[in-house]
Amino acid sequence: MSEMKEMRNENDGVISYELQEFKLFEPLFKWARKKSLWIVAFCTGCGGIEMPPLATARYDFERFGIMPNPAPRMGDLFLITGYVTPKTLKRIIITYEMMQDPKYILAHGSCPINGGVYWDSYNVVKQLDKYIPIDVAIAGCMPRAEAVMDGIMEIMRKIEDGTADGWKRYRENYEYYRKNQDELFGEGWREKDARRWLAWI
Amino acid sequence: MIDWKLVLEVIGILIYATFMGFIFMGIERKAMARIQRRVGPPIYQPIIDTLKLLGKKESVSHGFIYDFGPVFAMGASIAALLFIPIANFQLFSSNADLIVVAYLLEIPMLGIMLGAMSSGNPYSALGVQRGLLTMVAMQLPYGLALIALIQHWGTFKLSEIVALQQTQGWSILVPALFVAMIVFDIVFQAMLGLEPFDIVSAPAEISMGPMVEYGGKHAALLFTQHAIQLFAETAFFAVLFLGGASNLLELLIKQIAVLFIAIFVASIYPRFTIDQAAKFFWKWPTILGIIAVLLTV
Amino acid sequence: MINELMIILFAPLIAGVVAWALDIKGIREAIGIIGAAIPLAYLVKLYPTIIENPIDYSITVSGFTLQFQLNTMSWYFAAVASLVGLAMAFGMAVTSRESYDWLFALMSFTGVLGVFLSQDFVGFFLLWELMTFASFMMVLRRNRHESLKYFVLSVIGAYAMLIAIGMLYAKTGALDFASIRQVLYMDAAMGTITTRETAIIFGLFLTAFGVKAGAVPLHVWAPGAYSETDQSYTAFFSGALSKAGAYGFLLLYILMGYKLYAAFGTFHNHLTFAYIIAWIGAITVVVASFLAVLQEDIRKLFAYSSVGQVGYILLAFGLGSTLGFAGGLFHVLSHAIFKGLFWLVTAAIILQTGKTQFKDMGGLAEKMPFTFAMGLIAVLSLAGIPPMAGFASKWLIYEAAISAHMPLVAGAIFLGSALAFAYVVRFLYAVWFGQRPSDLEDVKEAPLPLLIAMALLAIPNLVFGVAPGLVTQYINKILGGEVVGGDYYKLVTPTGTYNALLVTIALVIGLAIAGLVYIYGAKTRKIPVTNTYQSGNPVTEEFNLSIRRNFYKPLAEALEFWLKYSWDRFYERVAGMAEDFADSLRQAFYNGNVQSYSWYLAIVLLILALWGVL
Repeated sequence: MSEMKEMRNENDGVISYELQEFKLFEPLFKWARKKSLWIVAFCTGCGGIEMPPLATARYDFERFGIMPNPAPRMGDLFLITGYVTPKTLKRIIITYEMMQDPKYILAHGSCPINGGVYWDSYNVVKQLDKYIPIDVAIAGCMPRAEAVMDGIMEIMRKIEDGTADGWKRYRENYEYYRKNQDELFGEGWREKDARRWLAWI
Repeated sequence: MIDWKLVLEVIGILIYATFMGFIFMGIERKAMARIQRRVGPPIYQPIIDTLKLLGKKESVSHGFIYDFGPVFAMGASIAALLFIPIANFQLFSSNADLIVVAYLLEIPMLGIMLGAMSSGNPYSALGVQRGLLTMVAMQLPYGLALIALIQHWGTFKLSEIVALQQTQGWSILVPALFVAMIVFDIVFQAMLGLEPFDIVSAPAEISMGPMVEYGGKHAALLFTQHAIQLFAETAFFAVLFLGGASNLLELLIKQIAVLFIAIFVASIYPRFTIDQAAKFFWKWPTILGIIAVLLTV
Repeated sequence: MINELMIILFAPLIAGVVAWALDIKGIREAIGIIGAAIPLAYLVKLYPTIIENPIDYSITVSGFTLQFQLNTMSWYFAAVASLVGLAMAFGMAVTSRESYDWLFALMSFTGVLGVFLSQDFVGFFLLWELMTFASFMMVLRRNRHESLKYFVLSVIGAYAMLIAIGMLYAKTGALDFASIRQVLYMDAAMGTITTRETAIIFGLFLTAFGVKAGAVPLHVWAPGAYSETDQSYTAFFSGALSKAGAYGFLLLYILMGYKLYAAFGTFHNHLTFAYIIAWIGAITVVVASFLAVLQEDIRKLFAYSSVGQVGYILLAFGLGSTLGFAGGLFHVLSHAIFKGLFWLVTAAIILQTGKTQFKDMGGLAEKMPFTFAMGLIAVLSLAGIPPMAGFASKWLIYEAAISAHMPLVAGAIFLGSALAFAYVVRFLYAVWFGQRPSDLEDVKEAPLPLLIAMALLAIPNLVFGVAPGLVTQYINKILGGEVVGGDYYKLVTPTGTYNALLVTIALVIGLAIAGLVYIYGAKTRKIPVTNTYQSGNPVTEEFNLSIRRNFYKPLAEALEFWLKYSWDRFYERVAGMAEDFADSLRQAFYNGNVQSYSWYLAIVLLILALWGVL
């Protein structure tokens, strides 16, 4: 039981810390945030296949300073590339909470918006925005690389005018997100999920 | 008492080295992109990245050593830089000894390892293991190359090595030292953490290895450290084998030449596994190194 | 009046006997510490005088004259041993449970001091054996098998030394160092002692001192013996006792150097006999360091590391140049202080956790911060990070090896120091960092005496690191010349310079700049070890997040071919064969048949008759 409590405290740390306010250099950092979006490479669903053309010679997103990065603590941009099952969602939430503020989420395709073709599936999360805050969603099944590029541009624009505030919303409305997550997975799901895998190790 | 000229030089060189180091990192990415027929990021992209990382509003820590590691790494990189004769700026290099600088260039590794280990992440641990094994593997040929150089010039002092090369021609014009240069260049690839020896970070395998738990300002420190280290190491190469330089521009040209060789090699080779790397280092580079030292005895 | 030398020499032994006889908890520790402190106090007191005029003392025991002398060199070795000895005594105050330990630990202390102070072979041999015996008794208490291994090799060494001394006595007619040196010096020109005899004497001494120094292939006793005693004692065992072997090599130079040079000549401009020593050292460094990297037990790791580091000293002495001696002598000090510190840290860990295997440990840095800091100092010093004492000595050895034009030997140092880096980081990772096993939750900081002992050895690591000139200037006095120039902070050799203070300043500048960047960034939030990136999987404390076993498995795979061979197994096999042979002899002859016994008698009588004895 004590460990359960510990888990929750650790999780609460995600929102209870104090954010650093940079006064003098804030505009500079804001510009840098826009120009250097590092993607947490976490490909779910079918949208992952749109990433290679984006990264390679055809569209080359590196010219905007975008770089795939396997470590979430350094990441800024979380791409949800397609439908999300509850099992994936758990990982998404954990990884998202590991990323450091400010952080942004870009959802690909119809599935994270309303379930898309899986709208009546028993095992697909229909509205991702209920569980984690999404900054930009791109409709389409599947959105082409151009559309994704457009979405990224939109994120950049929103960072510039300060409306890409998913990370703020997550902190402010944490109770709401937490309630939805717990409703879907049940209380203490982190603990339970971790224990499920212990038997396999 | 305080030598103000030296203080100004130190500050100037530090700023210059950090800036150029970032530009080198940018060149690395840009050149790789061009080889892969991409446009690539702007050349100052690493500076933006570092600024962004520093501008993160949140920061996590796994304990005191986790914070100390990157600070120590960057401090040691700066210390190493101050002992290398940078063109006509001598800084502390009148006292610089080849062995001391070679060791100082290795300390940042220890700092990164310390921080990575204290994060307790298994990927970090794997990265540490790979990093140290790479070091164990490369140290023998590396040492042999340095020994060949010292034996030929008969001095350990970097400033004297530069002076001798200015009068008697570059090191690489000596056949034995050319062999040593080849060895050093292979080792250099591992020192910079580029393919085929980018076993340490191996992004696709172990999520950046030692860096996996780092983010925000810690990562910014590590990036800055990497920039300074890159500048210091390329300058070290230029000083040892390419005759040093009499002004910053000449040094820059030599550094970029060295860097491009590293980039070209890196962009065509895949990655070794760690035991392959060890076996490789203990085979050809070591044999070449032994030939070089025996030629210069 | 009793001579100071006798007080220095016998204070530990007397204290040990008293502590053993009284055996009252509290008092025996106090007596032991006082007994260990006396030599150091006297040595410090005598420091100003010995440089000008060495102190002599001799006693005559049943026809033999034992001579002792405190000169510049013996002061150096004795001071190193006493420093480590005092630290050992502080450490033993908490780690040792019995008066038995105190008796033999302090007895070996006397033995070591005696070896360094003796000026003739009688005293040297007697005290050498006292030292060996006492340390053997320390091991015997814990582990019979390992102690036997140590015993057998020590006996081989002792016999080798005895025969060598006998041969020298037969040839020179003297037992004191001064006259032996004189005679051999003269003989180098005349050549009455043949090359073959010289080679035998040399080989025997090499065996005798090589056993104590743990040179490959005579190192096999060291890992077992170092690990199977009280760990505070091991600080002394590895820090000071192994130096007796190194001192022996130095003695070989002093006594026989010229003769050996005359007998063997040179090989590619190197003294042949020195070249052999250098290569023994180089092989020891590489083999022992590779084995240290692959160990799974904290004590075994440091035991092999000790063997490897003493290899550096042999290598440095083997270079045959004065710079090499300076480096070797410096390394005697720095190895004693950093390895002594390591063993005390190990003692603290074992005392507080009761574990010795890496797989049972982890995350102790938060629980034992002071011990961790001391361990970190030792790590930095051993890995040769400037500005630490370990770097200064290693730097001198590098300079000496490369200037002596022994490139491959110098290459061995490069490899050895990379390996040293690898195994100390393994120690750091496995013991201090990462996830903490649940049964180590209530581990506490080490007790005060142990912390004092650690501080006693950690401070010299820093002081001699920043001011290596303190040591090298004294070494110059030993070697009688300006071998390493410069001032307190700066070392100058003919080919290079190392300014420790400047390196320190540069590091401080660097750390300050980096620190400013760090402070500017966002405030940190402490998170537990379970909040870690596992590809998004949630983890709890039950998950194993550390690589506890086979940390360097890829290295073991790369070295698979070489690891098939082992000196240890070779000796075991030889021992087994000897046992089998003896067994078959016993079964063949002592078959319990009275008739065959009478036959043996008859044959013996016949042989004797034929020989004409009867």
